[in-house]
Amino acid sequence: MSVRDEHELKYQVTLVELVDRVLNKGVVLTGDITLSVADVDLVYVGLRVLLSSVATLEEQREISAAGAQL
Amino acid sequence: MSPPAARDDNLGWYLYGVLAGDGRLPKLHASGVAVDRAHEVELLVEGPLAAIVSRVSLQEFDETTLPERLADAAWLEQKIRAHEQVLDRVLDEASIVPCRFCTVYRSEAELRRFLSERKEALQAALDRVQGQVEVGVKAFVDRERFSAGQATRNEKVRKLQAKASAAEGGRAYLERRRLERLIASEVERFRSQAGREIHSRLQGVSVDGLPLALQAAEVSGRDDEMFFHGAYLVGARESAFEAAVGTLAEDYRDAGVEFELTGPWPPYNFVPAQLRAS
Repeated sequence: MSVRDEHELKYQVTLVELVDRVLNKGVVLTGDITLSVADVDLVYVGLRVLLSSVATLEEQREISAAGAQL
Repeated sequence: MSPPAARDDNLGWYLYGVLAGDGRLPKLHASGVAVDRAHEVELLVEGPLAAIVSRVSLQEFDETTLPERLADAAWLEQKIRAHEQVLDRVLDEASIVPCRFCTVYRSEAELRRFLSERKEALQAALDRVQGQVEVGVKAFVDRERFSAGQATRNEKVRKLQAKASAAEGGRAYLERRRLERLIASEVERFRSQAGREIHSRLQGVSVDGLPLALQAAEVSGRDDEMFFHGAYLVGARESAFEAAVGTLAEDYRDAGVEFELTGPWPPYNFVPAQLRAS
């Protein structure tokens, strides 16, 4: 009944994966003359906002905890 | 003619990533996708490196207002997507060392100084990802399909199932509970075993690979459980990796497993977070 066999391998980019990579990974070139949100507290502020609609409670707690440590 | 200095003072340089600048530079097909749409993406060559940059309003990207912006989900999503889209357009043409979100310099001189001070580390990072892209792999297991598969292959499950359907009343309830517990423990065993095998098979067809955090169903947007998530560095023009995932999908289909690929990404997970000055 389904034709999914041909389409089981899907290239999907969700916002969550985008956030995980763009905000948390990649080269950080910082110094006192650079503006950067590589500072984790800022990243977590944004991440919490962005994921609040989809994240589980547990993840939100983790994010809050990580943010609170700073 | 250069623009008036006063206007220029309010503009910074947003750095998306770095590529090799000593060969033929790639054509940029990134018109109208910059994080600040008022400006276009350009390549700034500094020694052997080329920086993928665009001018940004420092009012929008200043560190004093940035925390506020980051709390604005719509703003954040738009800028994150723009960052990725710019790199995505370049990725077809060249190997990239991607930078983290919101790497902004106040002036061209500062940007150039940073590139030149970290020239060797950046080149080493570029060498590592030359000709490579990152591909994400996720695998999900559907508990119902997994149980159905176990019922035909797993002797213990088959026996317990027969007992459960033969029993009556309270006895039947207990047998069903036992069966559920057995399935749950078989799923657990399968998750770790299959996860290890998938990772090892994918490492065999990639330059490098590493496990990523699993996503909860609310995040993955799927009903079945994610039990495997990894990122792999693979040849940009090779199909062996995708073929290997296809074979895995075949091999694990009867166990109720489905695979998803993401990417190709700039190699976010395969560049060093910190670069030392030369």
